[in-house]
Amino acid sequence: MPNNGSLMRKVHFPPSRLVFSAIVALSGGLVASCGTGSGANPEQVTVYTGRHYGIEAVFDEFTEDTGIEVRFTTGSDPELRERLVAEGANTPADVVITADAANIELAASAGLLAALDSDTLRGAIPEELRSEKNEWFALSRRLRVIMHSTERVSEPPRSYADLGGSAWSKRLCLRPSTHPYTQSLVASLILNQGAEKAESIVEGWVANEPLYINSDTDILKAISAGDCDVAITNTYYLARLLDEDPATPVAISWPEQPTTGAHLNVSTGAVLASAPNPGGARRLLEWLATKGQKTFSDANFEYPADPSVAPADLIVGFGEHTADLAAVRQLGRLNQDAVALLSRVGHE
Amino acid sequence: MVRATTTPGPRRGAPGRRAGRLVAWVVTAGSALLVVAPVAVIAVSILDPTPSLWADLWRTRLPGMIADTLTLLVTVVVGAAVLGTSLAWLVTAHDFPGRRLIGWLLVVPLTVPGYVAGFVWLDTASAVIGPRGARSIWLCAAVLIVTLYPYVYLFARAAFRAQGADLRDEARVLGLSRVAAFARVALPAARPAIAAGGALVTMEVLTDVGTVRLFNVSTVADGVLRVWFGTGSRQAAAELATTLVATALALVVIERILRRGARYSRRASGRPMTPVRLTGVRALAATAGPSVVVAVAAGVPLVRLGAWGVEARRAGATATVAGGVWHHLGATLAVAGLAVAVCLGVGSGLVLFARRHGALGRVMVRASALGYAMPGPVVAVGAVIVLAALDRTDLVPGPVVLVGSLVGLVFALGVRFLAVAVNGIESGLDQMPASAVASARTLGARPIRIAWSVELPSVRPALVAAAALLTIDVVKELPITLLLRPFGFDTLAVWVWQATSESLWAQAAVPSLAMIAVGSAAVGALLVALERGAEVVS
Repeated sequence: MPNNGSLMRKVHFPPSRLVFSAIVALSGGLVASCGTGSGANPEQVTVYTGRHYGIEAVFDEFTEDTGIEVRFTTGSDPELRERLVAEGANTPADVVITADAANIELAASAGLLAALDSDTLRGAIPEELRSEKNEWFALSRRLRVIMHSTERVSEPPRSYADLGGSAWSKRLCLRPSTHPYTQSLVASLILNQGAEKAESIVEGWVANEPLYINSDTDILKAISAGDCDVAITNTYYLARLLDEDPATPVAISWPEQPTTGAHLNVSTGAVLASAPNPGGARRLLEWLATKGQKTFSDANFEYPADPSVAPADLIVGFGEHTADLAAVRQLGRLNQDAVALLSRVGHE
Repeated sequence: MVRATTTPGPRRGAPGRRAGRLVAWVVTAGSALLVVAPVAVIAVSILDPTPSLWADLWRTRLPGMIADTLTLLVTVVVGAAVLGTSLAWLVTAHDFPGRRLIGWLLVVPLTVPGYVAGFVWLDTASAVIGPRGARSIWLCAAVLIVTLYPYVYLFARAAFRAQGADLRDEARVLGLSRVAAFARVALPAARPAIAAGGALVTMEVLTDVGTVRLFNVSTVADGVLRVWFGTGSRQAAAELATTLVATALALVVIERILRRGARYSRRASGRPMTPVRLTGVRALAATAGPSVVVAVAAGVPLVRLGAWGVEARRAGATATVAGGVWHHLGATLAVAGLAVAVCLGVGSGLVLFARRHGALGRVMVRASALGYAMPGPVVAVGAVIVLAALDRTDLVPGPVVLVGSLVGLVFALGVRFLAVAVNGIESGLDQMPASAVASARTLGARPIRIAWSVELPSVRPALVAAAALLTIDVVKELPITLLLRPFGFDTLAVWVWQATSESLWAQAAVPSLAMIAVGSAAVGALLVALERGAEVVS
């Protein structure tokens, strides 16, 4: 059997032995590398953050200011929440930061967050922008508004309902309903206009055969390129584009003025109920709401949560407007209804 | 197949051997259980279904999801199988200018992550046919075909190579034309390999969430995340995810049934296939055809990424995240090395054990591969649940925390990708002459020794191939790494995510190119090893 001969030749030094030794060595290293998570270090705060754009510079400034190190991991809001639920009392996290209000409300209702009795936070953050039980606090304001081409649109829509007008047929760009920003906007429509009216508004959009693009930046670029004329996006994406190229031919049309105001969502921060370092967590949150407000907001051209802090010059240029503060706390509660509505009317 | 327990041998029934068998059982069953647990905690939800969810879904998005999923699945699997197999036959059985280089380049598209290729092609196609036309299921399918066909290509190529010259020459002597020799002999004999590659493509398509979203294609996998993150209900999402796993499982079982009884043992003479030299127009076509595939699948993304990289450098906007390329590269290589070693170790253990223990062993192997049939984010959360539960038990010493440790991350990646190892090793063993094991057994070798000295060395090419595929998969993997990585442990894929989740495509260029470079190195190692390996086996 020549074949077996050639196979058996390998007996003395099968390559798999190398693999095996490697595995043994690596497993040793692996076990040694196991984290020792929850040993509370007063000089360190651990953060899970779903808002990650420019966050590193903010934490660096906090460390410089207070001497407290920040250890953080980034991710998507819902996945970080699932991780917190699974970790329960064992979590190494002290603070959670989210990019929208609905996700933090879900975390609150899952019992993950600690109520915080802090005069500093109450003083800095308006009542509408923190939870009733002071479990979470807005850190910046994110406005979702109507965008239009300055080249092709002379009379831009003035309300979310206007976007359903036949004038905008095939000229509208929207973000798919998979995204929380779309869901929160529809949740606010349900709150302000009632479920029936909200449904007919969204039906109007869908009837205009919108071009769905899963990125606010790319939506604005599509307006620049002439692929659509009106759209709904958050303001800071336009600010970023204007910062790069002031000639970007897109402008804001503030919706629902002066009635309910433009749809407002918030990025939020909260201290976890099982925080190993609740003292440090509280300091970080208080710092973000006061001294760090400007850095936190300006890092992404968002409006500060504290109305007494001046927004970045670039976005001051967007003009005066009313924002829908009243809806913010309800966004989490109505999120599921919004998702159902979006599915019913066939919004992508 | 003769059971190991009935093997006559001088040391039969010795206490050492019985203890060895017990250890093998415990280790194998234990690792299978551990690997299945994250899938099980999700899948168990199906026992307590939410009828309202299903009624709502059925009235709204579910029919569309099923239609999109099936359309995509059939198109991509057929496309990848045809493209992969024909390219493999072209480069193994023919000689033409640039053959060796092309043989290598044809694997490179696999190293381009689907979400990167998807964006590049969406952007490129938008410029030509407009953004509406570009967001189509067909372009999405095309992108998936050109990034996934190398799975089939690799397995088919190894199979054709291992067939050697005999099979084809005998067919030719019996009067078959060159085409008929391929269609009626070489192709059927390579079916297990093509099926193994096709199975990987199937799973990739069923679980993809990064690419389909770019094209507004709403598949079931996308629906799982939609339901989960839209309603905050893990239960509802888990039910949907379970249907996905069931579909994948059904497909695997059907494929196995179709293949039942078809073992492709062969008498190998060690004579490698002499490629047919092509001349003139045919040689030109043979060089041009694959070159076009490579240009489309890898060339365009590389050129676009290169241009973005230059643009980012000019704008001084390369620093999306702290730590440079080396920091991220180091993390990527470390996690890839560990995950590959663990998958190969556990995978070979499982497969070899299963071959000796009939139905139960086979069930264990199939079950351990289920993580590959679940979307990455679902596996990530399943793994977090299991690891967090372990952290609460006494099994893990007090201060040690698995969630967010390298161990936890490697475990979760193992859950997701063990199927790649298992699949590769099994297809290697399927091609091995059954007589080798039988002879060793007749000579009285113990099962462990047979595994060590006969089976593993003879599937070395398959092991190396699996290692390369795993490296490529782990380097590209995002959702599990994102959720489970230790603090400060940022891989290249995480960097890409940091940039692309903010649509900063220019800033994603450098890490994307680095990922492709790592993957291409793995491809190079793979092909060199396969060439050596083919000599060992045949």
